[in-house]
Amino acid sequence: MSNVEIITTIIQQFPYALAGSMIAGLLCAFLGVYVVSKRVVFVSATLTEVAVAGVAFANLVGGLHPTVGSVLLTSLAVLLFARLLRSTAVPSDAILGISYIVALTIRILMMQKTSGAEVAEVESILKGDMLLVTPAHVTIMAVTAAIILLIHLVFFRQFLFVSMDAETARTQGIRSGLWEFVFYLTLAVAVSTAVRIVGDLFVFGFLVIPSTAAMLAAKRVGRIFLTAAVFGALPPILGLFLAFKFDFPAGPATVASAVVLLLPWVVQKR
Amino acid sequence: MTETPIIEFQQVSLGYGGRTIVRDVSLSLFPNDFLGIVGPNGSGKTTVLRALLGTLSPRKGEIRRAAANGVPPTIGYVPQRDSLELVLPLTVRDVVMMGRYASVRPLRRFTAADRRIADEAMAHVDIGNLAGLSYRDLSGGQRQRTLIARALAAQPDILVLDEPTNGMDLSSRTAILEIIRHLHEHDGLTVVMVTHLLSDVANYVNRIALVEQGTVRLGAVDEILSSDRLSAIYQMPVHVSEVHGVTVIVPEPDDE
Repeated sequence: MSNVEIITTIIQQFPYALAGSMIAGLLCAFLGVYVVSKRVVFVSATLTEVAVAGVAFANLVGGLHPTVGSVLLTSLAVLLFARLLRSTAVPSDAILGISYIVALTIRILMMQKTSGAEVAEVESILKGDMLLVTPAHVTIMAVTAAIILLIHLVFFRQFLFVSMDAETARTQGIRSGLWEFVFYLTLAVAVSTAVRIVGDLFVFGFLVIPSTAAMLAAKRVGRIFLTAAVFGALPPILGLFLAFKFDFPAGPATVASAVVLLLPWVVQKR
Repeated sequence: MTETPIIEFQQVSLGYGGRTIVRDVSLSLFPNDFLGIVGPNGSGKTTVLRALLGTLSPRKGEIRRAAANGVPPTIGYVPQRDSLELVLPLTVRDVVMMGRYASVRPLRRFTAADRRIADEAMAHVDIGNLAGLSYRDLSGGQRQRTLIARALAAQPDILVLDEPTNGMDLSSRTAILEIIRHLHEHDGLTVVMVTHLLSDVANYVNRIALVEQGTVRLGAVDEILSSDRLSAIYQMPVHVSEVHGVTVIVPEPDDE
């Protein structure tokens, strides 16, 4: 298949995979700026794993939409983190490490008890098989992204102030605890929605890689968020192309594309 | 002082979880006061500070707040410099404008008045020329001035500073203390300064709140910072003397 034929095939036969992954990439990269700047990369890794466990949980229980199961479990995790991470008795990375392992264990145990067809869905998430994306998936992803981005745009100053200096923000009447919770809740919903479309590797990768590249490429805070969004939306195009060209799984191919995009900035900064 | 206090602790006990850190604190802060909060490490200075800021509720007792016009006083808070997350490249102006966030509605732009207030705050601490620089690239003294400007941009009734001179060289430290003195004496700002550097408070504040062994003792500088009291608190001989009109507090040398 020639390059032109690959591009035509992607556009004509897999427009939803392309659109869904671009929206997911954009949303994850935007939120990733906070994930990286707040130094909570491991929180996002744990939430991604919890989101996959949520899909497995929904499949096992039955009658529960996988995205709903995923959102429920990640939201519960956010509530638990909000409480547990304040504790000084146990280091926060130990709490996150335990949560990660628990989510992984739940997923494996539930998959063992789930029927073959539903196991296939979880396995496709783990492989990052984006080509099965449906119009309904894209609609859910687009609406979720629009709502989350709107919240972050309207309350940009609150999120920024709290991420930099929560204590001072609180003295100015900005409810730091509330905004921290809203941030993690929007992150949980974004991760849960995206993970079903693009897989866990893509979600975690796009929470970290494009935002890091944007921080190296742009010098002003507003531009970093814009650049991250663009850097998040573009790699899926190259990733899908490479997946077709070399018969790679689409998720890992897209993450590899994002890394390629990051490299020039890293080299330039050195 | 016969004025009405702008913040008044009435038999306040403070703590976290199941643990009480300080008990029965009665403390009044008056307009144009300059209060130093001192005490050994781990004595509860930060706990008292949080209650003062309104970010920690008392377990017992009451904290009353009323500025001259009857509304709760606005607090301009200057946190410890190393408590800020500095991954994003915020400029000095970005940081100072944060002092105006509470007065700007979501999605609204800053008004000309907001920008003027921020400019005046920067000029006040002599960092107008640094406005476009990245905050994280500044020296400790410049960062401290930026955080003071941010606090001033909130147009506070009370300026609260947490360890403002910690980790600074002599000239930066003196410059920051002189800025704080100027804000108090010339601008009439009420100032609360938390520090473990006793010489800083001894030469600048009007009154001292000494946090020690779960209690807060309030008094004049010479009354609280006596050699006997400090020697007992720090469990080592401490010498308080005056050199060229400046109070110096040092540990007494070991004869052996």
